Amino acid sequence: MLKWIKLAFRNILRNKRRSLVTIMAIGVGFAAISLYHGYIYDAYEELRWFAICGEEGGYGHLRINKAGWRENGKLEPEKYMFSKEETGKITGLLREEKGVILASPQTQILGLVSNGQTSAVFIAQGVVPKDEKFIEKFWFAKVGFIPDGYTTALIGERLSEEKNSGVLMAKDLADYLNMKPGGGGVVMLQTLVGQTNAMDVQVSGVYDTGNDFSNDKFMRFNFDFTQSLLDTQSTERILVLLADWKETERMRAHLLKKFRNAGIDCEIRTWNELSMIYPNLKSFLDTIFVFVSSIVLVIVITTIINTMGMSILERTREIGTLRALGLKRKGVSHLFALEGAVMGLCGSICGVVLHTFVWILLRFFPLKYIPPGFSVPVDMRVAMVPWALFVLLLCLILLSTIAAILPARQAAKKNIVDALGHT
Amino acid sequence: MALIEMKNITKDYYLGETVVHALRGIDLQIDKKEFVSVWGPSGSGKTTLLNLIGAIDDPTTGELIIAGKNVKTLTDDQKSEHRNKTIGFVFQGFNLVPVLSALENVMLPLQIKGVSVKEARKQALVRLEEVGLSELIHNRPSKMSGGQQQRVSVARALVSNPSLVIADEPTANLDSETARMIIDLMRELNEKDEITFIFSTHDQRLLDRVKRLVRIEDGKIIDGAN
Repeated sequence: MLKWIKLAFRNILRNKRRSLVTIMAIGVGFAAISLYHGYIYDAYEELRWFAICGEEGGYGHLRINKAGWRENGKLEPEKYMFSKEETGKITGLLREEKGVILASPQTQILGLVSNGQTSAVFIAQGVVPKDEKFIEKFWFAKVGFIPDGYTTALIGERLSEEKNSGVLMAKDLADYLNMKPGGGGVVMLQTLVGQTNAMDVQVSGVYDTGNDFSNDKFMRFNFDFTQSLLDTQSTERILVLLADWKETERMRAHLLKKFRNAGIDCEIRTWNELSMIYPNLKSFLDTIFVFVSSIVLVIVITTIINTMGMSILERTREIGTLRALGLKRKGVSHLFALEGAVMGLCGSICGVVLHTFVWILLRFFPLKYIPPGFSVPVDMRVAMVPWALFVLLLCLILLSTIAAILPARQAAKKNIVDALGHT
Repeated sequence: MALIEMKNITKDYYLGETVVHALRGIDLQIDKKEFVSVWGPSGSGKTTLLNLIGAIDDPTTGELIIAGKNVKTLTDDQKSEHRNKTIGFVFQGFNLVPVLSALENVMLPLQIKGVSVKEARKQALVRLEEVGLSELIHNRPSKMSGGQQQRVSVARALVSNPSLVIADEPTANLDSETARMIIDLMRELNEKDEITFIFSTHDQRLLDRVKRLVRIEDGKIIDGAN
């Protein structure tokens, strides 16, 4: 086999310029696919953690609600919220789990916020300040950065247990109400029993939700303050963070069983079911990936077929000689297939080098861009995924081989006498 | 038993609607160890005849038996194996693979056969020594003269110890002195290794060096059929 590989290498070097162009075409094609894959791989990673830790204040890996909350919770909230005892029981059961690193009660409220002159509708997440800090640290540990203003206050201070009525306000809402950190206002909403409740709040900080659609209506309250506003001890949901996101589905099934055995009737949704951005963006980027890859591969295959076709035409007489010496038709195909494979390998290696170069470049000189629907810029990064590079390398070698076989099969079928007489 | 037996062989070519009768009823027998020259004017059918004997072309009609095998009944793969084991070729234009050295070119038929590199190298070196090219084994064809290239070609034809070597106008691209040397070399190997040689030529100066002459004109054997 080695002797044929050696021959293939030498044949490739016959027309250096043509082979170089073909190898570069394969290399650039490889890099185009691998870089785009590296980009979306990194984007999915960031979007996943954004959904778990940042989107609407973070969905967690799992979100536990009382059974029926999704259908009826808005109409009869008290009935479909966890009582204080149930909340305690659930968090107790969750703390027993090794894979669970945080169980945090949360409640979402809707109401009106006023600066004394103007009012606006708001949606607020009632969160535990120390848990919010934990989520932020967890997020940072996973992706190495957090876009400005997601959970840390852009201006002012963050939520704290000491300032119960201190709130964070999304930046567009703050702009609309002309409210700044230190400023006061009033929030108004209905308690769970239907009575109107109003309480003074102080804006601790103004933050960016990261999303244009929520920046004009989102707020974040202390969980205890939210309970005071609703005049209840109940909890709407419990956010769960897991040590390993890949355990999400398994843990959901396990916890559902565990809670059922403990007499707790609940529903658990995962971060990708809750996220409004991740599934849509993933589907969109996956479609583009397939589209772009197909175009690139067609170009690469066409280039190889063209190169091999020219090479075969130039070597028709040699093919005739080899056939006369006893090389079978499939032997001719194998010879050219091997040349295709060697070109595919060389091109892919160039592609890996190109990918690595861009990967290093983006690490030192990151580009920033604002993805659709986002309000803050993020770094454009490209992941280095060894298994994906290896799979792509194998694919391109295989495709190069097939692309070389196509014209080689025609050449192998040629009449030997005609081939020997070819000039 | 004859090494080559041709009975009423015809070969027609179709050029559009025109039929060219290249061979018209050839009957020929060639025995083992013979040193035969097929000669005649251009277009007489010499190359066509050698192509049929070399199993690189099929007759239109007739029976062709080479080394006991009816060539017409063989599949393409069987013909390839048959050529590889039984027949050596020397071409007018040498037809060496330009990216291979002299040694690698001679090793080629053995490597097609599946002989190990070590063994192929050993046998190729013996053949290159026989043709007097021991000093040039690492040279590529582009670094060799026409005569040297043709000697490599002869070594390549002999390396798999074939029963038959076919040489189509082996001296056509060589000067007369080198041509005589090549024919003498082939004859020497014919006598030493008892290999049958059949070569075509239209150079009458070389004909006094052969043992048997087959004269062909207009697709028919005029003289030397048996």
